[in-house]
Amino acid sequence: MLAIALLLAGCGDAAYAPSTLSPQGFGAARIADLWWFLLALGGAVFIAVMVYLAIALFRPRKPGDNAKNQRNGSRVILFAGIIAPAIILFVVFGFTVSTLNAISTPSISREFTIHVVAQQWWWEVRYPYQQIETANEIHIPAGEPVRFLLSSEDVIHSFWVPELQGKLDMVPGKTHELWLQADQPGVYIGQCAEFCGIQHAKMRFIIVAEPPEEFERWVAEQRQPASEPSESLALRGQQVFLSSTCINCHAVAGTNATGDLGPDLTHLASRRTLAAATIANNRGNLGGWIADPQHIKPGAFMPPTPLTGPELQALLAYLATLK
Amino acid sequence: MTQDIALGPSSKNPDEHPSSTPVPVGDRPHTISPDEDLNERLEKIWADPPGFYGWFKALQNDALGGRIMSTAFTFFLIGGVTALLMRMQLIRPENTFLSPQRYNELFTMHGSTMMYLFAVPMLEGFAIFLLPFILGNREMPFPRLGQFSFFTFILGGILFYSSFIFGAVPDAGWFAYVPLSGPEYSPGLPLDFWLLGLGVAEIAAIAAGAEITIAILRMRAPGMSLVRMPVIAWAYLITAVAILFAFTTLLIASLLLELDRKMGTQFFNPAAGGSAILWQHLFWIFGHPEVYIQFIPATGMISMIVPVFARHRLVGYSYVVIALLATGFLSFALWVHHMFTAGLPQITMSFFSVASIMIGVPAGIQIFAWVTTIFFGRPVWTTSFYFVVGFLVTFILGGISGIMVGVVPFNWQVHDSYFVVAHFHYVLIGGVTFPIFAALYYWMPLFTGRLLNERLGKWNFWLFFIGFHVTFFPMHIVGLLGMPRRVYTYQEQIGWDIYNQISTVGSFILAIGVLLFVINVFYSRQRGEKVDSNPWQADSLEWATSIPAPNYGFSELPIVRSRHPLWDQKDVRDGEAPLKRMLQALSGWPLTWRAALTTSALEARPTEIFRVSGPSIWPVVTAVGLIVIFAAEIFTFRILVFSGVIGVIVGLVGWHWPDHIETTERELEFEREHNILVYPNGSPTISRWSMGIIVLLVATCTAIFVFSYFYISLQHTVWPLAGIERPGLLLPAIGTAAVLATAAAMYWANRRITKGDVVGMRIGLALALILGAVAVGTLIYDLRQVNFDHTINAYGSLYWTLTIFLIALLLGGMAQILFTQIWSWFGRYSAREHVAVDIGGFYWYAMILFWLALAGTVYLAPYTILSS
Repeated sequence: MLAIALLLAGCGDAAYAPSTLSPQGFGAARIADLWWFLLALGGAVFIAVMVYLAIALFRPRKPGDNAKNQRNGSRVILFAGIIAPAIILFVVFGFTVSTLNAISTPSISREFTIHVVAQQWWWEVRYPYQQIETANEIHIPAGEPVRFLLSSEDVIHSFWVPELQGKLDMVPGKTHELWLQADQPGVYIGQCAEFCGIQHAKMRFIIVAEPPEEFERWVAEQRQPASEPSESLALRGQQVFLSSTCINCHAVAGTNATGDLGPDLTHLASRRTLAAATIANNRGNLGGWIADPQHIKPGAFMPPTPLTGPELQALLAYLATLK
Repeated sequence: MTQDIALGPSSKNPDEHPSSTPVPVGDRPHTISPDEDLNERLEKIWADPPGFYGWFKALQNDALGGRIMSTAFTFFLIGGVTALLMRMQLIRPENTFLSPQRYNELFTMHGSTMMYLFAVPMLEGFAIFLLPFILGNREMPFPRLGQFSFFTFILGGILFYSSFIFGAVPDAGWFAYVPLSGPEYSPGLPLDFWLLGLGVAEIAAIAAGAEITIAILRMRAPGMSLVRMPVIAWAYLITAVAILFAFTTLLIASLLLELDRKMGTQFFNPAAGGSAILWQHLFWIFGHPEVYIQFIPATGMISMIVPVFARHRLVGYSYVVIALLATGFLSFALWVHHMFTAGLPQITMSFFSVASIMIGVPAGIQIFAWVTTIFFGRPVWTTSFYFVVGFLVTFILGGISGIMVGVVPFNWQVHDSYFVVAHFHYVLIGGVTFPIFAALYYWMPLFTGRLLNERLGKWNFWLFFIGFHVTFFPMHIVGLLGMPRRVYTYQEQIGWDIYNQISTVGSFILAIGVLLFVINVFYSRQRGEKVDSNPWQADSLEWATSIPAPNYGFSELPIVRSRHPLWDQKDVRDGEAPLKRMLQALSGWPLTWRAALTTSALEARPTEIFRVSGPSIWPVVTAVGLIVIFAAEIFTFRILVFSGVIGVIVGLVGWHWPDHIETTERELEFEREHNILVYPNGSPTISRWSMGIIVLLVATCTAIFVFSYFYISLQHTVWPLAGIERPGLLLPAIGTAAVLATAAAMYWANRRITKGDVVGMRIGLALALILGAVAVGTLIYDLRQVNFDHTINAYGSLYWTLTIFLIALLLGGMAQILFTQIWSWFGRYSAREHVAVDIGGFYWYAMILFWLALAGTVYLAPYTILSS
């Protein structure tokens, strides 16, 4: 987890992949077990057939009789080509059903739901009970199953956190339910898995699993409206913000910025990433993103905002207060 | 014969072969050329017209098959270049070699090209070239349909690729999921190029599918009963039938999407009562069989090549045939495994999971049949056989990963990841492209008269094989590490770099392998070793004729008495005396028209001698008209669309205009002497079968429309939507009565002409026309009086579209009757020749069922199924 923190800070070296094979939650864990079983079984079948093929190709030849070969050959097909695969596939199906049952019904549940609405190319995250709205960064309590309601605002997307659970599509006009759990606190990479347009590749998100008390603290912070800036630079930044085109799409609770086309910015500074987990959230990246989003994410709907240097500096100072 | 392959002529060293295999007799006796002069005359009748204009009129199966294969292979090379560009982009993280837009266009073009413009046409090209030879006949049943198929295919492909010129390249992937591909999220032309450009190519595929089905069922050599049919013929039969169902489904799905895009219908718009998931069902009802449409003929090729190079009869022929049939059936029962992450009910997923992994059984049967054949035989290591072994190794891996992705929970992890990309390339390159290369090395002598170079061939194989595995094996791993497919780039330090680098290196090795093949083809055309007959000592009939294959196929048709005629029969012309006499007579008569033979479907007893249609420009006119319709529709240029429609109508009329030959005493004499029907104006059998296929296609369209209606209506608790009233029932009742009466009139017309009463027939046909017009009138009147249009919501879209489809069906049938009526004034029909009247009647009987299904759905479903 140190690695991911470093990665997102943009200065780490260690490679870290959101691997389905290092599962961190019950769903992914059961599926990884299934995978190792399938790999062992498939590997055994492959080796067996390859040995037979090698013998068939390279064995010393003796003349044989066609009729007898046909009889014996048919027996080989019957046993090795029909009965053996049927038994193996029956076993595979048994394992399939048991895994399916295990991961679709979580052991415990509490009234806690996260509604994720996908749109081109970011994730709106709502906690209806806590009345929180955020984007691209989903906080969950570690060690308990969490219910997600997944839907889409525009085209079909797919919600995938490889280390935690299998993926589920987000279809316009429908709401799908997915349960997932992170056993340990940590940051897990998620991404859109259904091609959804020009920036499908950079439609990522992170799941931040925290110990329950830390999670509650986060909830409490997120419920606060944005604090009024006290510094003069930040105050100027707020004016820049409120008089710019930013507010057509973005909202900051407690101000008259109420746009809802883009992510809610009320607690922007508390988030680890920008542009749907494309870049780390730091001053330099944020400035670059505001000035020229199309360079970082060509085709994204956010237009460049023409600001003078001082205006941008002020804006960044203001945005940094949105904790 | 090349020296580096251990395949000396059997006559020199018969002991080389295991005693289980009958030693093939020397080459010469199989080459059917009793009379050089006669062969020249036959060649002249069957040859395509010369010159530039003649090139367009050409319709010989050899010429068309060759053209289709070369065109498809060219698309394969283009598709390969798109893949290399993508691999370049992915060689390192955050690469800027391609823009995201360009990358998305390239993977869309890559998938679509390989699926629609390479694999299916390539295999159909093989079929059109080879089948008449393999089946021991002279031609395909509809040479003009083959010609039409070639021109629609190449023009459709060009139209599709012209999107680059217009800067409107399709970019929604080869399965173009809605709503992304719909009017709101893909405005502009790109998706229209995809739908309409490929739509033309799909029509080409259906045309070839119809032709292949009838060729295999009704145009085999005498004696080639179903159980003696070579496995490849079984494979192509199953594939061709699957093409008819699958591609028709795709065409209807494309039509609905294009209507959404251009006409404002709401089939796929959830906001107006439509369904985004309906597209996925329709697409995969096509898309999954599509994979088997490629795989089944490829395995058919393997089943032909393995016994020849193993020098042993295929072990378990019946098992293999049953496995092919099972694969064909199952392929239509597992489309949902592409939708396991779409949030469907668990019970649905369990069912389709079972069906998906059950496909492992027929695959297992075939694999063990091939390996066991090799086990008992004595392999001859030609390049073709190398590719067979490469196929076995690669395909088995792809099959195993296929079972894995059929397992629902595992699918949830790897679906739309690089694991799946790896899997389907193992199946499609391993299971289809390797066999295609094996087949090209194997059958090339028949195409060109020369062998491909074996030394280049081995290099071709090893580079292709190694390049393939280096490219695609790492994709399994990077997929498990969480890399989704269709991403134009990935982050630094996410641990995917090294696998992508290996893949990119592999893809260039693979490309060099393909390049060597191209070089080999050009080199061998000039310098390849010439052969004149059966270079591989094969067992099947295509090697019984001279090489390169003559235009007329066989002068004297072979008589099949064994599953392996060239291994078991001393002389393939030998057989029952009367049959042999007839075939001998047929080789020298008629030398004025192209005569071919139809045989019965099961036993392949000769049934008719008929005239195969000759060169004509009209199929090209029809194809061009069709392309004009589709191209103009892309730009919504409706006047041009309309002229295209005129072109198609003119083309079709010219194409089918009876090119009448009076039946003379000579034909009747031949009939009496050899006890076989002679039809110098085309085969009634084949006409009936072709009408059967048209009815099948229409039935498929009808089924898809009805399915779509119920799928959408069952999403709603209120139906009709948005306060629309239920349809009135009086008009439909009148229409139904008229349609039923039409069938009676057609029956009367049929009865009268069988008795030679032309006037009675005309009265029946005229009555049918009037009643048909009444039925059409009720539908049109109904559309004029309803108070909603097709754009209001999905209900309106379904109501209008199904009704208009029904009107089109009626008008099509009426046009057929009208032309029958016209031709009857030219004196075309008699008690002996009146097949047009028969099949017109057949269409109308089927029409009743279509009417009941469609009108029943539109008018009654709102009453019976759902309450408002």
